[in-house]
Amino acid sequence: MILRSLLLRQGRFALPRSTLIRPFRRYLASQIEETYTNPHQHQQFIAGADGDATKSQAATSLSAESEVLDNDPVALNYALQQHSKAVTGKIGSMVEPHYRPHELLSNPPSPKDITLELLMASQSHIGHSTSLWHPANAKYIFGVRGEDGHPIHIISLDVTAAHLRRACKVVSGVTERGGLVLFVGSREGQARCVVNAASMSKGCHLFTKWIPGTITNGQQILGKCKKKVVNHKDEEVKGFEDQLIQKAAVKPDLVVCLNPLENYVLLHECALNNIPTVGIVDTDVNPTWITYPIPANDDSLRCVQLIAGVLGRAGQEGQAVRRELALTGQLPARQDHGLEPPAEQETDERNSRDKEHGRNLLQAGDV
Amino acid sequence: MESPLLGRCLRRLAQCPSRSPQRQIVQQRRLYATPAEATGDIRAAPPIRFSSDPQQFSQPRAQFIDSDGMNTAARRRDRNRNGNQGVDDQELLRQIRIVPASPSYFTATPKYTDDLLHLSHLMRKYQLLPVLEPGQAPRIAWKTIDQYKTELAEPIRSKGYNALLHLLKRLNYIHPSLMPEEVTQALDKFQRDVNPYLNIPKPITVSAYGVSVAAGRRKSSSATVHLVEGTGECLINGLPLPTYFGRLHDRESAVWALKSTQRLDKYNVFALTRGGGTTGQAEAITLACAKALLAHEPDLKPALRRAGCVTRNMKRVERKKPGKLKARKMPAWVKR
Repeated sequence: MILRSLLLRQGRFALPRSTLIRPFRRYLASQIEETYTNPHQHQQFIAGADGDATKSQAATSLSAESEVLDNDPVALNYALQQHSKAVTGKIGSMVEPHYRPHELLSNPPSPKDITLELLMASQSHIGHSTSLWHPANAKYIFGVRGEDGHPIHIISLDVTAAHLRRACKVVSGVTERGGLVLFVGSREGQARCVVNAASMSKGCHLFTKWIPGTITNGQQILGKCKKKVVNHKDEEVKGFEDQLIQKAAVKPDLVVCLNPLENYVLLHECALNNIPTVGIVDTDVNPTWITYPIPANDDSLRCVQLIAGVLGRAGQEGQAVRRELALTGQLPARQDHGLEPPAEQETDERNSRDKEHGRNLLQAGDV
Repeated sequence: MESPLLGRCLRRLAQCPSRSPQRQIVQQRRLYATPAEATGDIRAAPPIRFSSDPQQFSQPRAQFIDSDGMNTAARRRDRNRNGNQGVDDQELLRQIRIVPASPSYFTATPKYTDDLLHLSHLMRKYQLLPVLEPGQAPRIAWKTIDQYKTELAEPIRSKGYNALLHLLKRLNYIHPSLMPEEVTQALDKFQRDVNPYLNIPKPITVSAYGVSVAAGRRKSSSATVHLVEGTGECLINGLPLPTYFGRLHDRESAVWALKSTQRLDKYNVFALTRGGGTTGQAEAITLACAKALLAHEPDLKPALRRAGCVTRNMKRVERKKPGKLKARKMPAWVKR
């Protein structure tokens, strides 16, 4: 075929690069967008984009991303396929802004985007059956729906929004002061949003079962797990390794729990150790377990991913503020780490003293 | 007329103001827990000094004791060093904090969780790349769970490791022409150092002199057979067949490979056997003879398989167990 032989003759580096691959690659995004961008910005029909490219030109320009090995037909075919998809995929289509579920994970909204419409679209107002409710969270409930068959409670979205904004303030406040936030979500499907939120707030994640005693018996359970010392710029500082071995296990400064019903042990341990908790409180959850409850639906993945994403963004904002302050020299209130400066000179003195002592001992001919 | 009791009370009340200074002195003495004059080793605590320094609570409390002028090792060290370094240490201590080395710290298996997340990330990123046909992926010996656990020194369950293996096997199916570098690196980390699938048995060939050599085993016996085209002679450990095997059944089974294919008069057999008893040695020669014959005539394999000469009989004598008389035989049952 003409297309392939052109490629083989001229080689891929001699050909122009296509720029239309990028929107397609965003679908496969596994990196989280660092700055929040309006996801619907790209949904505009661009007339004549790359329209000058004739078929031969289009087919001969390859995407830079695919690593094509010399003459393998599978690789060549794949490259051609990707390119033609990118070039011709959008032609003639005018896609209206629409909901894309993966964006909750790849580009989560920030606290300022919390609206009642967004919460309702994420099914966060749907509570459980009225017979299963916990009366302590009556003040979060708007009313009852479905009188005939199985009535369920509806959560007030204005209350949800207010509590969510407060929780965002708590998370960003903790991260501003260099605190460690632990995101916990052990239900199926919550792993990805928990990991994303933790990476945005530079905290820790847990998406499997909480091991009872991780905080109260930390030395036993987390004794083998490594800690490190970082400075105000988040750079690792060496020289404290031997001191760290003696130190107790690290405890989180804030715990965000996306399914409190399954993690009541975690919440109890946090309460015993004066660690504040943020959690999604459904109509059947005991709200007294949690310091900063967010009344919402913990069974809907969409709702959980939304809340985790928003809290992650709040943590990200707090980290940005902390970094700015640190660079200007304003350090937050220091924690009691109890570390001593790495004693390099002391060890040198000790070594030289030991050598002399050793020489004296060996004079008598000891082996 | 006043009562005598009332008169007494009034007189007492009138006398009260004169008594109060004495009572106050008594109370003052009782207020001090330590005596006013310093006797022996009981000394009053130093007076409390308040400072308005905004950084006063950012230092550890031990610093206050040091600042009283006591000669501690830290102070000596600071004085010995240059002035700059002492300040830098304090500044460093103010800047640092202890954090987990990995975001998976609270899972108690941080390295395993990080590996799982890395592989899941690669899987999501490259899930649309073309894959090989089922069964065509390069055969790789993955690390066993014990090897992985020893390497990581973490308590990992087999269910968790199987999830990891599932991801590895799926990533291994990506077409080699499009396999990304980072996927190759990730897969290499989980491969066993020695690939057992590269261990293929040496093929048995016919030498320049027309001799093929093969080994066979049965029970605890082993035999080596040299097979060459000839007239049908048979020597076992230097002795002719009927001399070595007194039992007719053993004689037949030793050359069963040739007998079942009607080639008794076509080949000469020279066998060396060690170990076990008569039956074991005879069956070992059967297997060895069959393998040697396949070197001469590979097309005989289906016939030899039907004759039962190709498969190595893996049966071994079962060991005796405690509580039993032999491997399986139980002692006689007693009611009481």
